[in-house]
Amino acid sequence: MKRCTMYDVRCTIVSLLLMFSVSAFAQSNLTYELKVGTAEENKLLTDFPESYAGQKVNITIQIVPLTETDLDFVFVHEGPVNGFDSIFAYTDESAVVWTVWRNNKPIKNRAQRVMVGNAYGTFEAYLHEQVDARHSQGWIWWLLAGLVIAGTAMYGGYVVYCRRKEKNLSSVEQEMLRRKRMGLRRHYVSQAYLWLLLLVLYAPIALIAVFSFTKSKVLGNWTGFSMDLYANLFTGKADAGLNSAMLYTLIIALIAAVCSTILGTLAAIGIYNMRARSRKMVSFLNSVPMINPDIITGISLFLLFVALGMSQGLTTVCIAHVVFCTPYVVLSVLPRLSRMNPNTYEAALDLGATPAQALRMVMLPELWPGMLSGFILALTLSVDDFGVTFFTKGSGGLETLSTFIYSDARKGGLTPELRPLFTIILLVMLTVLIYINIRNSKQEEK
Amino acid sequence: MNKIIQIASSRRTWAWPYVAFMAMFVVLPLILVGVYAFTDIQGHFTLHNFAKFFTHSEAIQTFLYSLMIAVFNTVICLLIGYPAAYIMAQEDFKTPKVMAMLFILPMWINFLLRTVATVELFNMCGLPLGEGALLFGLCYDYLPFMIYPIYNTLQKMDNSLVEAAQDLGASRWQSFWKVIVPLSMPGVYSGVVMVFMPTVSTFAIAELLTHNNIKLFGSLIQDYITTTDLLNYGAVLSLVLLIIIGLTSFFGENDTANEEKGGLV
Repeated sequence: MKRCTMYDVRCTIVSLLLMFSVSAFAQSNLTYELKVGTAEENKLLTDFPESYAGQKVNITIQIVPLTETDLDFVFVHEGPVNGFDSIFAYTDESAVVWTVWRNNKPIKNRAQRVMVGNAYGTFEAYLHEQVDARHSQGWIWWLLAGLVIAGTAMYGGYVVYCRRKEKNLSSVEQEMLRRKRMGLRRHYVSQAYLWLLLLVLYAPIALIAVFSFTKSKVLGNWTGFSMDLYANLFTGKADAGLNSAMLYTLIIALIAAVCSTILGTLAAIGIYNMRARSRKMVSFLNSVPMINPDIITGISLFLLFVALGMSQGLTTVCIAHVVFCTPYVVLSVLPRLSRMNPNTYEAALDLGATPAQALRMVMLPELWPGMLSGFILALTLSVDDFGVTFFTKGSGGLETLSTFIYSDARKGGLTPELRPLFTIILLVMLTVLIYINIRNSKQEEK
Repeated sequence: MNKIIQIASSRRTWAWPYVAFMAMFVVLPLILVGVYAFTDIQGHFTLHNFAKFFTHSEAIQTFLYSLMIAVFNTVICLLIGYPAAYIMAQEDFKTPKVMAMLFILPMWINFLLRTVATVELFNMCGLPLGEGALLFGLCYDYLPFMIYPIYNTLQKMDNSLVEAAQDLGASRWQSFWKVIVPLSMPGVYSGVVMVFMPTVSTFAIAELLTHNNIKLFGSLIQDYITTTDLLNYGAVLSLVLLIIIGLTSFFGENDTANEEKGGLV
């Protein structure tokens, strides 16, 4: 009994300490000092890749004073941004560079593009939004502290309740209860561990999903509920780059999935009928693209296209995607083949069918499920790929969603319509996975 | 015509297009990495690029730093992932399938977008970006790769072995360290390989998570390979990475193969 109480006291102390440290930490991080100096102070150019440092840059710098007390000036460089072209790729838009200083050290330096007078409001409104976003970040720590307090209080209440109830029991019964509680505690601690892990794993995703319902340009700044981003996404009012990236992602994924399904299915049939030694060799060859990290696949293909003198674009990206998708198709078709009766195909040939007919009427119906799962796998792999696409897309302006997000993020901002897009993808994936799970468990019951 | 039908009806030949395709777009490119590494811009044989690598302190430092980050990340993923997999594989855990699905689901979201969201989360909480953010982001991206293989081996493990150990007087800790951990080693090996390989070759994530302050080997390769004059030097760096990857997968495979054989005996 005594040991148990000590444990509870320890628990309470630890959670109180945790709470205080969290709130203290929050306090120390809330004192942001936004200060922007001259171009030299900001070392505007050194923040960008070395290769641009030597180039002549033509920037006009405009200082915009804001009424916010802790924000003195914000640098805005406008107009022709020749030197920055490769970084921003927005010659017709303005960009803002801002630095957050703490203890006279720049801790954050961001270049963010600003759209003047478009759907997201004026330039000044945008700057205010930025400042608001910085101000409103305190709530998350208060939320955490509140959760910890509530949890501690609930646990303490539960312990007191248990003590009251057990007062009149014999020592043997108390010991039994103690053991039971130890087991329960182990159970709860392990459950809590998993849920905590999931909470951390889902926090960034939840952030995207929640902020897809507000119009704010900056992720993390709530400006009221709005479905505008969804509307923009579906009516094509979103960023033109995003629209073409979505289109190209779909086109490339479909081409790659269709080609790799056909190639992979034929290959699987061939591999299945090979002799052991050559089968082993081809299987090894098949596993090479799966072992290779995408950067190696991308670079090696890039070198091949350079050596062949091929201009890089849609074709090269499609070829590259077929390369890393096909092995997975082969692997999903092979198990269907080993389950199939090998004699049916020969029987069809003996009965006078041509190989094509036998393939279409005997083999395909059997292999269909494997081909379908291979096709879906290829589709998702292709949509998700970044590394290989990045090296094979060339410089002709071809972007898929991944590379679009990459160049967008490097500029500092994130096109707001990406938020609803990925919320939808997440929901669709969740539905599909739950459906598959339910179907599998039903099949197991049978 | 007859001969064509004969060839087509021997189904062995159906893999030929695939083999030719792979030879062209998998084997040849990998050979080309080596060829480019040993030649200069004009295409003459040279060892100059290798000499440059061994005297180029930035490249060597970045390489060692990336290896260190990858090892750290693998260890962190193992320390966080093993308990999670262990808990999920317990017999009294009621919803392992749902839990496994929940751990896999984030991987269906584009990893770059997840990384950007992580950056925004750090910004929102007022946490500085840097090494800590890099490790958090990497761990966040690759943790499911660690949990899943370990969970699979633990789940397939024969629970009566643990019961036997406890019947013979082993404590909970002893049975965990002497029975469960050795038996789950194949899963740990494949988890380690699956986390280490992408981390050591990672690019793009690092620059987003650290605002371009920390450069990993992958980003270095990317910088050189996309610069026309330095393409050959980039090929040398890729070759170094390729060797690391080859070694890792070789060791990983060997170990798992041995463990599986041991398991069969």
